[in-house]
Amino acid sequence: MLEVLAIAFTVLLIILSAAYAQRFGIGKEILLAGTRALVQILILASIILILFEMPLFWSFLVLAAMAAIAGHTTYSRSGKLENGLPVAVISIACASLLLLIPFFLMGIFPLEARYIVPTGSILIGNAMNVSSLAIDRYKGELKNKRSEVEAYLALGAKPELAAAACLKQGILSALIPSIDNMKNLGIVWIPGVMTGMLLGGADPMEAASIQIAIFTSIFVAGMIASSLVLYYSTDSFFTNAAQLKEDLD
Amino acid sequence: MLLVMNHFHLEMKDVSKSVFRTINGTKVKTSILSGLDLRIKTGELITIMGASGSGKTTLIRLINRLSELDSGIIMLNGNDIKNLVPMELRRKIGMVFQVPVVFKGSVRNNLAFGIKLWGGNTVIETLSRDAGIPENLLDADAGQLSIGEKQRVCIARALANQPEILLLDEPTSSLDALSAQKIEKLLLGLQKERDLTIIWVTHEKEQVERIGGRRLVLRGERLEDFHA
Ligand SMILES: Nc1ncnc2c1ncn2[C@@H]1O[C@H](COP(=O)(O)OP(=O)(O)OP(=O)(O)O)[C@@H](O)[C@H]1O
Ligand SMILES: [Mg+2]
Repeated sequence: MLEVLAIAFTVLLIILSAAYAQRFGIGKEILLAGTRALVQILILASIILILFEMPLFWSFLVLAAMAAIAGHTTYSRSGKLENGLPVAVISIACASLLLLIPFFLMGIFPLEARYIVPTGSILIGNAMNVSSLAIDRYKGELKNKRSEVEAYLALGAKPELAAAACLKQGILSALIPSIDNMKNLGIVWIPGVMTGMLLGGADPMEAASIQIAIFTSIFVAGMIASSLVLYYSTDSFFTNAAQLKEDLD
Repeated sequence: MLLVMNHFHLEMKDVSKSVFRTINGTKVKTSILSGLDLRIKTGELITIMGASGSGKTTLIRLINRLSELDSGIIMLNGNDIKNLVPMELRRKIGMVFQVPVVFKGSVRNNLAFGIKLWGGNTVIETLSRDAGIPENLLDADAGQLSIGEKQRVCIARALANQPEILLLDEPTSSLDALSAQKIEKLLLGLQKERDLTIIWVTHEKEQVERIGGRRLVLRGERLEDFHA
Protein backbone atom coordinates (compact mmCIF):
# COMPACT_ATOMS: atom_id res chain seq x y z
CA MET A 1 0.00 0.00 0.00
CA LEU A 2 2.77 2.40 1.02
CA GLU A 3 4.56 1.73 -2.30
CA VAL A 4 1.52 2.49 -4.38
CA LEU A 5 1.00 5.84 -2.64
CA ALA A 6 4.67 6.84 -3.00
CA ILE A 7 4.76 5.90 -6.68
CA ALA A 8 1.48 7.65 -7.41
CA PHE A 9 2.87 10.79 -5.76
CA THR A 10 6.04 10.53 -7.88
CA VAL A 11 4.11 10.15 -11.12
CA LEU A 12 2.00 13.17 -10.22
CA LEU A 13 5.10 15.26 -9.49
CA ILE A 14 6.75 14.25 -12.76
CA ILE A 15 3.68 15.14 -14.82
CA LEU A 16 3.10 18.46 -13.06
CA SER A 17 6.72 19.59 -13.24
CA ALA A 18 6.94 18.55 -16.90
CA ALA A 19 3.76 20.51 -17.68
CA TYR A 20 5.17 23.56 -15.93
CA ALA A 21 8.61 23.25 -17.53
CA GLN A 22 7.01 23.05 -20.96
CA ARG A 23 7.12 26.87 -21.10
CA PHE A 24 10.93 26.68 -20.93
CA GLY A 25 10.91 24.05 -23.66
CA ILE A 26 12.22 21.27 -21.39
CA GLY A 27 8.91 19.59 -20.57
CA LYS A 28 9.59 16.54 -22.66
CA GLU A 29 13.10 16.20 -21.24
CA ILE A 30 11.83 16.23 -17.67
CA LEU A 31 9.11 13.74 -18.49
CA LEU A 32 11.68 11.43 -20.03
CA ALA A 33 14.22 11.82 -17.19
CA GLY A 34 11.54 11.32 -14.55
CA THR A 35 10.18 8.21 -16.24
CA ARG A 36 13.66 6.80 -16.65
CA ALA A 37 14.44 7.40 -12.97
CA LEU A 38 11.23 5.71 -11.89
CA VAL A 39 11.68 2.67 -14.13
CA GLN A 40 15.37 2.31 -13.24
CA ILE A 41 14.78 2.46 -9.50
CA LEU A 42 12.00 -0.13 -9.73
CA ILE A 43 14.27 -2.40 -11.72
CA LEU A 44 16.99 -1.87 -9.09
CA ALA A 45 14.56 -2.77 -6.30
CA SER A 46 13.63 -5.96 -8.16
CA ILE A 47 17.28 -6.82 -8.66
CA ILE A 48 18.05 -6.29 -4.96
CA LEU A 49 15.01 -8.40 -4.13
CA ILE A 50 16.37 -11.18 -6.31
CA LEU A 51 19.89 -10.72 -4.94
CA PHE A 52 18.61 -11.41 -1.42
CA GLU A 53 17.91 -14.92 -2.60
CA MET A 54 21.11 -15.42 -4.60
CA PRO A 55 24.66 -16.28 -3.48
CA LEU A 56 26.79 -13.23 -2.50
CA PHE A 57 28.85 -13.64 -5.64
CA TRP A 58 25.99 -12.06 -7.60
CA SER A 59 26.02 -8.92 -5.49
CA PHE A 60 29.63 -8.31 -6.39
CA LEU A 61 28.84 -8.96 -10.03
CA VAL A 62 26.18 -6.24 -9.91
CA LEU A 63 28.69 -3.84 -8.33
CA ALA A 64 31.20 -4.71 -11.04
CA ALA A 65 28.61 -3.83 -13.67
CA MET A 66 27.93 -0.53 -11.90
CA ALA A 67 31.66 0.24 -11.83
CA ALA A 68 31.89 -0.51 -15.55
CA ILE A 69 29.07 1.91 -16.35
CA ALA A 70 30.56 4.53 -13.98
CA GLY A 71 33.95 4.11 -15.64
CA HIS A 72 32.41 4.53 -19.05
CA THR A 73 30.77 7.77 -17.95
CA THR A 74 34.07 9.18 -16.70
CA TYR A 75 35.77 7.96 -19.87
CA SER A 76 33.22 9.82 -22.03
CA ARG A 77 33.76 12.93 -19.92
CA SER A 78 37.50 12.70 -20.57
CA GLY A 79 36.80 12.97 -24.31
CA LYS A 80 37.45 9.26 -24.89
CA LEU A 81 41.15 9.27 -24.14
CA GLU A 82 43.34 6.52 -25.49
CA ASN A 83 43.35 3.71 -22.84
CA GLY A 84 40.87 5.85 -20.90
CA LEU A 85 38.18 3.21 -20.50
CA PRO A 86 40.13 0.50 -18.64
CA VAL A 87 41.92 3.16 -16.57
CA ALA A 88 38.64 4.73 -15.42
CA VAL A 89 36.84 1.43 -14.77
CA ILE A 90 39.73 -0.11 -12.82
CA SER A 91 40.44 3.05 -10.83
CA ILE A 92 36.82 3.50 -9.77
CA ALA A 93 36.36 -0.20 -9.01
CA CYS A 94 39.56 -0.51 -6.95
CA ALA A 95 39.02 2.66 -4.94
CA SER A 96 35.42 1.71 -4.13
CA LEU A 97 36.24 -1.87 -3.23
CA LEU A 98 39.12 -0.73 -1.00
CA LEU A 99 36.73 1.38 1.06
CA LEU A 100 33.88 -1.13 0.98
CA ILE A 101 35.80 -4.04 2.48
CA PRO A 102 36.45 -2.53 5.95
CA PHE A 103 32.71 -2.12 6.61
CA PHE A 104 32.36 -5.90 6.51
CA LEU A 105 35.80 -6.78 7.88
CA MET A 106 35.19 -4.66 10.98
CA GLY A 107 31.65 -5.96 11.33
CA ILE A 108 29.91 -2.59 10.91
CA PHE A 109 27.61 -4.33 8.45
CA PRO A 110 26.85 -8.04 8.12
CA LEU A 111 28.04 -9.54 4.83
CA GLU A 112 24.68 -9.55 3.07
CA ALA A 113 23.39 -8.28 -0.27
CA ARG A 114 21.16 -5.82 1.59
CA TYR A 115 24.29 -3.97 2.79
CA ILE A 116 26.85 -4.71 0.08
CA VAL A 117 24.90 -3.37 -2.90
CA PRO A 118 23.72 0.02 -1.60
CA THR A 119 27.01 0.86 0.18
CA GLY A 120 29.03 -0.18 -2.85
CA SER A 121 26.85 1.82 -5.21
CA ILE A 122 27.21 5.02 -3.16
CA LEU A 123 31.00 4.65 -3.23
CA ILE A 124 31.05 3.92 -6.96
CA GLY A 125 28.68 6.74 -7.87
CA ASN A 126 30.67 9.29 -5.96
CA ALA A 127 34.03 8.04 -7.22
CA MET A 128 32.60 8.51 -10.71
CA ASN A 129 31.46 12.08 -10.05
CA VAL A 130 34.76 13.15 -8.55
CA SER A 131 36.80 11.44 -11.29
CA SER A 132 34.74 13.02 -14.06
CA LEU A 133 35.14 16.48 -12.56
CA ALA A 134 38.85 15.90 -12.05
CA ILE A 135 39.66 14.64 -15.55
CA ASP A 136 37.63 17.41 -17.15
CA ARG A 137 39.51 20.03 -15.17
CA TYR A 138 42.89 18.36 -15.76
CA LYS A 139 42.36 18.48 -19.49
CA GLY A 140 41.18 22.09 -19.33
CA GLU A 141 44.28 23.05 -17.34
CA LEU A 142 46.63 21.36 -19.81
CA LYS A 143 44.92 23.19 -22.64
CA ASN A 144 44.99 26.60 -20.97
CA LYS A 145 48.50 26.23 -19.60
CA ARG A 146 50.03 24.87 -22.78
CA SER A 147 52.80 27.45 -22.78
CA GLU A 148 53.76 26.60 -19.21
CA VAL A 149 53.70 22.85 -19.82
CA GLU A 150 55.85 23.31 -22.92
CA ALA A 151 58.26 25.54 -21.00
CA TYR A 152 58.83 22.59 -18.65
CA LEU A 153 59.20 20.16 -21.55
CA ALA A 154 61.67 22.50 -23.28
CA LEU A 155 63.96 22.22 -20.24
CA GLY A 156 63.92 18.45 -20.53
CA ALA A 157 61.22 17.68 -17.96
CA LYS A 158 59.29 14.45 -18.41
CA PRO A 159 55.56 14.76 -19.18
CA GLU A 160 54.58 13.75 -15.63
CA LEU A 161 56.63 16.60 -14.19
CA ALA A 162 55.48 19.10 -16.82
CA ALA A 163 51.84 18.24 -16.11
CA ALA A 164 52.13 17.99 -12.31
CA ALA A 165 50.69 21.43 -11.52
CA CYS A 166 47.71 20.81 -13.83
CA LEU A 167 47.07 17.40 -12.27
CA LYS A 168 47.11 18.89 -8.79
CA GLN A 169 44.63 21.58 -9.83
CA GLY A 170 42.36 18.94 -11.38
CA ILE A 171 42.17 16.94 -8.16
CA LEU A 172 41.82 19.99 -5.93
CA SER A 173 38.90 21.42 -7.84
CA ALA A 174 37.15 18.06 -8.02
CA LEU A 175 37.38 17.62 -4.25
CA ILE A 176 36.16 21.10 -3.31
CA PRO A 177 32.43 20.18 -3.42
CA SER A 178 33.06 17.12 -1.23
CA ILE A 179 35.07 19.14 1.26
CA ASP A 180 32.33 21.77 1.45
CA ASN A 181 29.75 19.04 1.95
CA MET A 182 31.82 17.58 4.76
CA LYS A 183 32.06 20.98 6.49
CA ASN A 184 28.31 21.48 6.35
CA LEU A 185 27.33 17.92 7.17
CA GLY A 186 24.44 17.94 9.60
CA ILE A 187 23.98 21.71 9.42
CA VAL A 188 22.72 22.49 5.95
CA TRP A 189 21.49 19.01 5.18
CA ILE A 190 20.81 15.61 6.68
CA PRO A 191 22.53 13.20 4.33
CA GLY A 192 20.77 10.33 2.59
CA VAL A 193 21.91 7.35 4.61
CA MET A 194 20.99 8.95 7.90
CA THR A 195 17.65 10.14 6.53
CA GLY A 196 16.89 6.63 5.33
CA MET A 197 17.87 5.02 8.62
CA LEU A 198 15.85 7.54 10.67
CA LEU A 199 12.82 7.01 8.42
CA GLY A 200 13.34 3.28 8.87
CA GLY A 201 13.18 3.74 12.66
CA ALA A 202 16.88 3.54 13.65
CA ASP A 203 18.42 5.16 16.71
CA PRO A 204 19.76 8.67 15.80
CA MET A 205 23.22 8.02 17.28
CA GLU A 206 23.59 4.80 15.33
CA ALA A 207 22.30 6.47 12.17
CA ALA A 208 24.79 9.32 12.63
CA SER A 209 27.78 7.03 13.24
CA ILE A 210 27.06 4.92 10.20
CA GLN A 211 26.50 8.03 8.14
CA ILE A 212 29.82 9.62 9.05
CA ALA A 213 31.68 6.37 8.37
CA ILE A 214 30.08 6.14 4.94
CA PHE A 215 30.61 9.80 4.31
CA THR A 216 34.33 9.76 4.97
CA SER A 217 34.70 6.53 2.96
CA ILE A 218 32.97 8.24 0.04
CA PHE A 219 35.42 11.10 0.29
CA VAL A 220 38.48 8.87 0.45
CA ALA A 221 37.24 6.64 -2.39
CA GLY A 222 36.68 9.73 -4.55
CA MET A 223 40.14 11.03 -3.79
CA ILE A 224 41.84 7.72 -4.57
CA ALA A 225 39.81 7.08 -7.74
CA SER A 226 40.41 10.55 -9.18
CA SER A 227 44.13 10.42 -8.34
CA LEU A 228 44.46 7.07 -10.10
CA VAL A 229 42.46 8.20 -13.13
CA LEU A 230 44.48 11.39 -13.58
CA TYR A 231 47.83 9.78 -12.90
CA TYR A 232 47.29 7.04 -15.46
CA SER A 233 45.73 9.43 -18.01
CA THR A 234 48.76 11.71 -18.23
CA ASP A 235 50.42 9.66 -20.95
CA SER A 236 47.33 9.96 -23.15
CA PHE A 237 47.79 13.73 -23.36
CA PHE A 238 51.35 13.40 -24.67
CA THR A 239 52.89 11.74 -27.71
CA ASN A 240 55.60 9.10 -27.49
CA ALA A 241 58.15 11.85 -28.15
CA ALA A 242 56.99 13.71 -25.01
CA GLN A 243 55.09 16.38 -26.94
CA LEU A 244 51.87 17.84 -25.57
CA LYS A 245 49.25 16.74 -28.11
CA GLU A 246 47.84 19.43 -30.40
CA ASP A 247 44.16 18.57 -30.26
CA LEU A 248 43.00 18.46 -26.66
CA ASP A 249 39.26 18.96 -27.10
CA MET B 1 88.51 12.42 -36.49
CA LEU B 2 87.87 13.30 -40.13
CA LEU B 3 84.40 11.89 -39.81
CA VAL B 4 83.63 14.11 -36.87
CA MET B 5 84.86 17.17 -38.71
CA ASN B 6 82.49 16.49 -41.57
CA HIS B 7 79.59 16.77 -39.23
CA PHE B 8 77.63 19.92 -38.81
CA HIS B 9 76.43 20.76 -35.34
CA LEU B 10 72.87 20.90 -36.62
CA GLU B 11 71.60 19.88 -40.00
CA MET B 12 68.06 19.98 -41.42
CA LYS B 13 67.41 18.18 -44.69
CA ASP B 14 64.28 18.48 -46.82
CA VAL B 15 62.12 19.25 -43.80
CA SER B 16 58.37 19.72 -44.23
CA LYS B 17 55.68 20.64 -41.76
CA SER B 18 51.97 21.27 -42.11
CA VAL B 19 49.53 22.44 -39.47
CA PHE B 20 45.79 21.97 -39.17
CA ARG B 21 43.93 25.25 -39.06
CA THR B 22 40.37 25.18 -37.84
CA ILE B 23 38.22 27.15 -40.27
CA ASN B 24 34.48 27.28 -39.58
CA GLY B 25 34.81 24.16 -37.45
CA THR B 26 36.56 22.05 -40.07
CA LYS B 27 40.23 21.23 -40.05
CA VAL B 28 42.18 22.43 -43.05
CA LYS B 29 45.71 21.22 -43.64
CA THR B 30 48.12 24.05 -44.45
CA SER B 31 51.72 23.59 -45.43
CA ILE B 32 54.03 25.91 -43.46
CA LEU B 33 57.51 24.58 -44.27
CA SER B 34 58.53 22.43 -47.22
CA GLY B 35 61.85 21.18 -48.55
CA LEU B 36 63.68 23.27 -45.98
CA ASP B 37 67.46 22.83 -45.57
CA LEU B 38 69.80 24.27 -42.95
CA ARG B 39 73.38 23.57 -41.88
CA ILE B 40 74.98 25.11 -38.84
CA LYS B 41 78.52 24.70 -37.53
CA THR B 42 79.44 24.51 -33.88
CA GLY B 43 79.64 27.92 -32.27
CA GLU B 44 77.96 29.60 -35.20
CA LEU B 45 75.38 32.34 -34.82
CA ILE B 46 72.60 32.59 -37.35
CA THR B 47 69.66 34.95 -37.48
CA ILE B 48 66.34 34.06 -39.06
CA MET B 49 64.02 36.81 -40.23
CA GLY B 50 60.63 36.40 -41.81
CA ALA B 51 57.20 37.94 -41.97
CA SER B 52 54.75 37.33 -39.18
CA GLY B 53 53.13 33.96 -39.72
CA SER B 54 55.90 32.74 -42.06
CA GLY B 55 56.65 29.80 -39.72
CA LYS B 56 59.67 30.88 -37.68
CA THR B 57 58.28 29.57 -34.40
CA THR B 58 57.09 26.43 -36.14
CA LEU B 59 60.61 25.87 -37.49
CA ILE B 60 62.51 26.13 -34.21
CA ARG B 61 59.97 24.00 -32.35
CA LEU B 62 60.93 21.18 -34.70
CA ILE B 63 64.57 21.45 -33.64
CA ASN B 64 63.97 20.69 -29.95
CA ARG B 65 61.11 18.43 -30.95
CA LEU B 66 58.31 20.23 -29.18
CA SER B 67 56.52 19.57 -32.49
CA GLU B 68 56.95 16.69 -34.88
CA LEU B 69 58.11 17.18 -38.48
CA ASP B 70 56.06 15.59 -41.27
CA SER B 71 59.02 14.53 -43.42
CA GLY B 72 62.75 15.13 -43.76
CA ILE B 73 65.45 14.72 -41.16
CA ILE B 74 67.06 16.82 -38.44
CA MET B 75 70.49 15.81 -37.18
CA LEU B 76 72.33 16.89 -34.06
CA ASN B 77 76.06 16.10 -34.29
CA GLY B 78 75.25 13.71 -37.12
CA ASN B 79 72.55 11.79 -35.24
CA ASP B 80 68.92 11.85 -36.23
CA ILE B 81 67.14 13.59 -33.36
CA LYS B 82 64.46 10.90 -33.53
CA ASN B 83 67.05 8.47 -32.18
CA LEU B 84 67.68 10.60 -29.10
CA VAL B 85 65.59 10.57 -25.94
CA PRO B 86 63.48 13.75 -26.31
CA MET B 87 64.32 14.88 -22.75
CA GLU B 88 68.07 14.54 -23.44
CA LEU B 89 67.69 16.39 -26.74
CA ARG B 90 65.94 19.26 -24.98
CA ARG B 91 68.64 19.48 -22.37
CA LYS B 92 71.20 19.94 -25.14
CA ILE B 93 69.05 22.35 -27.15
CA GLY B 94 67.76 25.15 -24.93
CA MET B 95 64.90 27.37 -26.02
CA VAL B 96 63.77 30.85 -25.09
CA PHE B 97 60.15 31.46 -26.02
CA GLN B 98 58.62 34.49 -27.67
CA VAL B 99 56.60 35.23 -24.53
CA PRO B 100 58.44 34.50 -21.28
CA VAL B 101 56.82 31.93 -18.98
CA VAL B 102 58.13 31.76 -15.41
CA PHE B 103 57.26 28.98 -12.99
CA LYS B 104 55.59 29.48 -9.62
CA GLY B 105 57.95 30.42 -6.83
CA SER B 106 61.04 32.54 -6.53
CA VAL B 107 63.55 33.47 -9.22
CA ARG B 108 66.00 31.17 -7.45
CA ASN B 109 63.52 28.30 -7.78
CA ASN B 110 63.19 28.96 -11.49
CA LEU B 111 66.94 28.94 -12.01
CA ALA B 112 67.38 25.82 -9.90
CA PHE B 113 64.94 23.82 -12.02
CA GLY B 114 67.44 22.52 -14.56
CA ILE B 115 70.13 21.97 -11.94
CA LYS B 116 67.76 19.80 -9.89
CA LEU B 117 66.65 17.96 -12.99
CA TRP B 118 70.02 17.34 -14.59
CA GLY B 119 72.56 17.89 -11.85
CA GLY B 120 75.70 19.83 -12.70
CA ASN B 121 77.78 22.28 -10.75
CA THR B 122 76.18 25.52 -11.90
CA VAL B 123 76.10 28.14 -9.14
CA ILE B 124 72.88 30.10 -9.17
CA GLU B 125 74.57 33.35 -8.16
CA THR B 126 77.03 33.10 -11.06
CA LEU B 127 74.26 32.21 -13.46
CA SER B 128 72.08 35.13 -12.42
CA ARG B 129 75.04 37.52 -12.66
CA ASP B 130 75.78 36.25 -16.18
CA ALA B 131 72.15 36.81 -17.15
CA GLY B 132 72.09 40.29 -15.68
CA ILE B 133 69.65 39.48 -12.89
CA PRO B 134 70.33 41.66 -9.81
CA GLU B 135 71.12 39.61 -6.72
CA ASN B 136 68.30 41.19 -4.71
CA LEU B 137 65.76 39.73 -7.16
CA LEU B 138 66.84 36.14 -6.53
CA ASP B 139 64.37 35.57 -3.74
CA ALA B 140 61.56 37.61 -5.27
CA ASP B 141 58.42 35.97 -6.60
CA ALA B 142 59.08 35.36 -10.31
CA GLY B 143 55.44 36.01 -11.24
CA GLN B 144 55.73 39.66 -10.23
CA LEU B 145 58.75 40.56 -12.37
CA SER B 146 58.59 42.85 -15.39
CA ILE B 147 58.53 41.17 -18.80
CA GLY B 148 62.18 42.06 -19.43
CA GLU B 149 63.21 40.62 -16.08
CA LYS B 150 61.16 37.48 -16.75
CA GLN B 151 62.90 37.08 -20.10
CA ARG B 152 66.28 37.21 -18.34
CA VAL B 153 65.05 34.55 -15.91
CA CYS B 154 64.03 32.39 -18.87
CA ILE B 155 67.41 32.85 -20.52
CA ALA B 156 69.25 32.00 -17.30
CA ARG B 157 66.95 29.02 -16.70
CA ALA B 158 67.79 27.67 -20.14
CA LEU B 159 71.52 28.22 -19.56
CA ALA B 160 71.42 26.28 -16.28
CA ASN B 161 71.07 23.13 -18.41
CA GLN B 162 74.42 23.95 -20.06
CA PRO B 163 72.98 23.56 -23.58
CA GLU B 164 75.06 23.23 -26.75
CA ILE B 165 72.52 25.10 -28.84
CA LEU B 166 70.26 27.96 -27.90
CA LEU B 167 67.04 28.61 -29.84
CA LEU B 168 65.88 32.19 -29.37
CA ASP B 169 62.37 33.01 -30.52
CA GLU B 170 62.27 36.81 -30.70
CA PRO B 171 63.60 37.05 -27.14
CA THR B 172 63.39 40.84 -27.12
CA SER B 173 60.08 41.33 -28.93
CA SER B 174 58.27 42.52 -25.82
CA LEU B 175 61.04 44.85 -24.63
CA ASP B 176 61.92 48.50 -25.20
CA ALA B 177 64.97 49.33 -27.31
CA LEU B 178 67.33 49.82 -24.37
CA SER B 179 66.42 46.54 -22.61
CA ALA B 180 66.54 44.75 -25.94
CA GLN B 181 70.10 45.92 -26.57
CA LYS B 182 71.15 44.87 -23.08
CA ILE B 183 69.82 41.35 -23.73
CA GLU B 184 71.55 41.27 -27.12
CA LYS B 185 74.87 42.13 -25.48
CA LEU B 186 74.28 39.55 -22.80
CA LEU B 187 73.50 36.76 -25.27
CA LEU B 188 76.41 37.61 -27.58
CA GLY B 189 78.74 37.62 -24.57
CA LEU B 190 77.48 34.21 -23.48
CA GLN B 191 77.83 32.86 -26.99
CA LYS B 192 81.54 33.71 -27.13
CA GLU B 193 82.21 32.65 -23.57
CA ARG B 194 80.50 29.26 -23.85
CA ASP B 195 80.99 28.59 -27.57
CA LEU B 196 77.23 28.30 -27.96
CA THR B 197 75.56 27.68 -31.27
CA ILE B 198 72.72 30.17 -31.52
CA ILE B 199 69.65 30.33 -33.76
CA TRP B 200 68.11 33.73 -33.26
CA VAL B 201 64.68 34.46 -34.67
CA THR B 202 63.77 38.10 -35.04
CA HIS B 203 61.74 40.30 -37.32
CA GLU B 204 63.81 43.45 -36.77
CA LYS B 205 66.33 44.29 -39.46
CA GLU B 206 68.16 46.71 -37.14
CA GLN B 207 68.59 43.94 -34.61
CA VAL B 208 70.02 41.61 -37.23
CA GLU B 209 72.53 44.26 -38.19
CA ARG B 210 73.55 44.80 -34.59
CA ILE B 211 73.90 41.09 -33.86
CA GLY B 212 75.87 40.06 -36.93
CA GLY B 213 76.23 36.36 -37.71
CA ARG B 214 74.90 34.55 -40.77
CA ARG B 215 71.66 36.04 -42.01
CA LEU B 216 68.80 33.89 -43.25
CA VAL B 217 65.21 34.65 -44.06
CA LEU B 218 62.23 32.31 -44.02
CA ARG B 219 60.29 32.93 -47.21
CA GLY B 220 58.10 30.68 -49.32
CA GLU B 221 58.34 27.84 -46.75
CA ARG B 222 62.17 27.70 -47.01
CA LEU B 223 65.28 29.42 -45.68
CA GLU B 224 67.19 31.74 -48.03
CA ASP B 225 70.28 33.86 -47.56
CA PHE B 226 69.27 37.35 -46.59
CA HIS B 227 70.66 40.27 -48.58
CA ALA B 228 69.93 43.72 -47.23
N1 LIG C 1 49.23 24.51 -33.73
C1 LIG C 1 48.83 25.22 -34.79
N2 LIG C 1 47.60 25.03 -35.29
C2 LIG C 1 47.18 25.73 -36.35
N3 LIG C 1 47.92 26.63 -36.99
C3 LIG C 1 49.16 26.87 -36.55
C4 LIG C 1 49.69 26.18 -35.42
N4 LIG C 1 50.93 26.62 -35.20
C5 LIG C 1 51.17 27.53 -36.14
N5 LIG C 1 50.11 27.69 -36.96
C6 LIG C 1 50.04 28.59 -38.12
O1 LIG C 1 51.24 28.48 -38.83
C7 LIG C 1 51.66 29.74 -39.31
C8 LIG C 1 53.09 29.98 -38.84
O2 LIG C 1 53.05 30.21 -37.45
P1 LIG C 1 54.34 30.62 -36.63
O3 LIG C 1 53.93 30.83 -35.23
O4 LIG C 1 55.41 29.63 -36.90
O5 LIG C 1 54.74 32.00 -37.32
P2 LIG C 1 55.92 33.00 -36.95
O6 LIG C 1 56.75 33.15 -38.17
O7 LIG C 1 56.59 32.57 -35.71
O8 LIG C 1 55.11 34.36 -36.70
P3 LIG C 1 55.40 35.54 -35.64
O9 LIG C 1 56.50 36.37 -36.21
O10 LIG C 1 54.10 36.32 -35.62
O11 LIG C 1 55.73 34.93 -34.35
C9 LIG C 1 50.66 30.75 -38.82
O12 LIG C 1 49.81 31.08 -39.88
C10 LIG C 1 49.91 30.04 -37.73
O13 LIG C 1 48.59 30.44 -37.72
MG1 LIG D 1 56.66 33.28 -33.78
